[in-house]
Amino acid sequence: MKKRLLKKSGIAELVAKLAKRAGVFAPVDNEGNTLFQKVIDANSIAKQYVNSKDAPKGFFFPHSETLMRYKRTDKGMELEDDQVAQTKRILFGVRPCDARSFELLDLLFNQEKYSDTYFVSKRENTTVIVNACVEPISKNCFCTSLGLSPTGSAGADILMLDLGEEIFVEFITPKGEALLDCFGDMEPSATIDVQAVRERAATLVDASVPCREIKTTLDNIYEHPLWESIAQKCLACGTCTYLCPTCHCFDISDEVKGDDGARIRNWDSCMFPLFTKETSGHNPRSTQKARWRQRTMHKFKYFVDNFNEVLCVGCGRCVAYCPVNIDIREVVKSVAKI
Amino acid sequence: MGNDYTPIPVEIAKITTEVDTKDIKTFRFAFVNKADEEKFQYRPGQFGELSIFGKGESPIGIASSPTQKGFVEFTVQKAGVVTSALHAMEEGMRMGIRGPLGNSWPIEELQGKNVVIVGGGFAFTTLRSLINYVIDDANRKNFGKVTVVYGARNPGLLLYKDELKTWAERGDINLNVTVDKGDASWKGREGFVPTVCKEVAPSPENAVALICGPPIMIRFTLPVFFDLKFSKENIITSLEARMKCGIGKCGRCNVGSKYICKDGPVFTFAELSKLSPEY
Repeated sequence: MKKRLLKKSGIAELVAKLAKRAGVFAPVDNEGNTLFQKVIDANSIAKQYVNSKDAPKGFFFPHSETLMRYKRTDKGMELEDDQVAQTKRILFGVRPCDARSFELLDLLFNQEKYSDTYFVSKRENTTVIVNACVEPISKNCFCTSLGLSPTGSAGADILMLDLGEEIFVEFITPKGEALLDCFGDMEPSATIDVQAVRERAATLVDASVPCREIKTTLDNIYEHPLWESIAQKCLACGTCTYLCPTCHCFDISDEVKGDDGARIRNWDSCMFPLFTKETSGHNPRSTQKARWRQRTMHKFKYFVDNFNEVLCVGCGRCVAYCPVNIDIREVVKSVAKI
Repeated sequence: MGNDYTPIPVEIAKITTEVDTKDIKTFRFAFVNKADEEKFQYRPGQFGELSIFGKGESPIGIASSPTQKGFVEFTVQKAGVVTSALHAMEEGMRMGIRGPLGNSWPIEELQGKNVVIVGGGFAFTTLRSLINYVIDDANRKNFGKVTVVYGARNPGLLLYKDELKTWAERGDINLNVTVDKGDASWKGREGFVPTVCKEVAPSPENAVALICGPPIMIRFTLPVFFDLKFSKENIITSLEARMKCGIGKCGRCNVGSKYICKDGPVFTFAELSKLSPEY
C-alpha cells in the first residue's frame, strides 16, 4: 500500500490540486451546522468537527433525485430522458463510519440482479477521502461496538490520519492511487508509530453496545412489550432515518408542470404512517410500535439475514438529534437484556 | 448497465370491462418496440409496475399467460391515483410497464401434479394466467387433474365470463364457479368459497393448492385444506403490499426479512409461517 506524509501547511495546495481533478466536497461550517459542501479552497473546510450533520450518503442517494423526464404527446406522456449524469467527485474528509456506510449501501443497491444505476454510477464516479477520527470524538460515537475502528479504512479510497503537525496518508484503492501525485512525494519514515494513535483513538469510543449480538434475541421477540415502550415516546418525525447514513428507504413520485414532467425519488421513512399504507386503507404497520419494531429489526436482524451485516455504523447522529432522546444504544441494550 | 426504473413503452391495444360495476377492466398492452416483447419473458404469478408518467406506478399481477403471444394483459380495479388514471385512458394511448417482477407460481414443481386452484373475487387474475398456461395445448399433458374453485360476491362480479364458459366446456378442468348470492338469471352454484372447497374436496394426493383471495376468504379456506390433509408446503398463495421500486430497494413491502416484490409475491404457507406475522 502506498503511503505519504503531508505537512498540514500543504493542505491548501492539496485541495487546490484535487479541485482541478473533480468537484471537491468537504465538511463546511454553515450557520452552526457542519455540512458537506463544494469547496474551492481549503480555508472553507471546517477546522474542527466531530462529523457532518448530514450523512454523505446523499452524494450517492440524494434526498431528492430526478430519475427521468417525460413530455406530453398526443398519445400520452412519453419518456424523454432517463440518462444518469456522470460527474466526477471527490469527497474530502468523510469520517470512517460514514465511509463504511457506503459499503453497506453497496450491498443493497449494487446487486447482481437489480443494480441501481443511479446509485452505482455515482459511486463509481466518486473518490472517497476519509479523515480518520483521532480527536475530537463525540460521546455519541459507538462505531467500535460494530467492530469498526475510528481510524478504519472500510469504504475509503484514501485514508488520512492526523498526527498533529503532519497527516499520514494511505492509498487504499486504485481509485485513491490515481490521486497520489496531489499528495506530494514525502514518504513517511518507518519510525512514525501510527498504530499507537489508532489504538488510542479506539479507546475513546463506546464499545459496549451489543449491536451484533442481539440478532438471536430479535429472532424471537417479534411480539414484546419493549416495542410499545419505545414507541410511546416517538413523535414519528423521521429525523433518525433522514440523518442515518445507512437508511435507504425511498418513495417515487411524479411532478408535472404543463407538458413536462419528472419522476423523482425522495427519501422516505419507515417511521411515517403512510410508508406502508395501501390504497385500500389497510396498513400492515399501522402503529408506531410496529414501525419501531421494523426499524430495529431491519437494522439488526433483517439486514443481517439478507447480507450478514448490521445496518448501522455507530455514527450517533440519531442519538444526538432525536427530539425526544430515544437512544438506539439503549434500545439495543434493552433487547440484549431480554 | 440497464436502468431498472425505466418503464417499457406499451400501447393500450384493448380494454375489456369485466364487471357490472365497471370498476374492473382488463387492459391488453402491445409493446411499442418489438425487441421489448422478446425481452419481456414472464411466468404466471409475476407482476409488473404499471407506469403512467405524471401519475405514478402501481404493482399489478399479470393476468395473461406467457403462452399467449403478442400482448400482455393486466386486470385492474379502479382504486387509487394510478388505477383511476388508467381507467380513464383509451385504446391507442401509450404508457409503460416495468417488469416482469417477482417470483412466480412454481410451474416446474407443479409438473406431474394435480393442481387445485382457488380464487376469490378480484384476486383471480394471476391464477387465470396459471390456468391458461396449464391448459395450453403444449403444456396440458405435463399436469395432472386441474380443479378450479372460483367465487365472487355476485354473478356480475365474476371476471373473464367468456373464458369461464370455454373452460366449462373443456373436459379436462373440474371447474366450480360459485357466487355468494345469485340473481334471477344465475343457474350456477351459490355458496362461499370455503364451503365449496369442502364439497369439492380435492384429494391431497400428489396435489398442490394455489389459493388467492381476500383475507377473509383465505382465513376460512385454509382450515378446509388442512382438514383435507394438504401440507403447508403444498398450499401456496400470493401476497401484495404497497410498493414503489418493485426490486427490493425502497424498503416498504417486507414481511420479516423477505421483500414481497423481490422474494415473493408467491410464498408457500410453510414459508409464511416462518416469517414475521406481519401481513
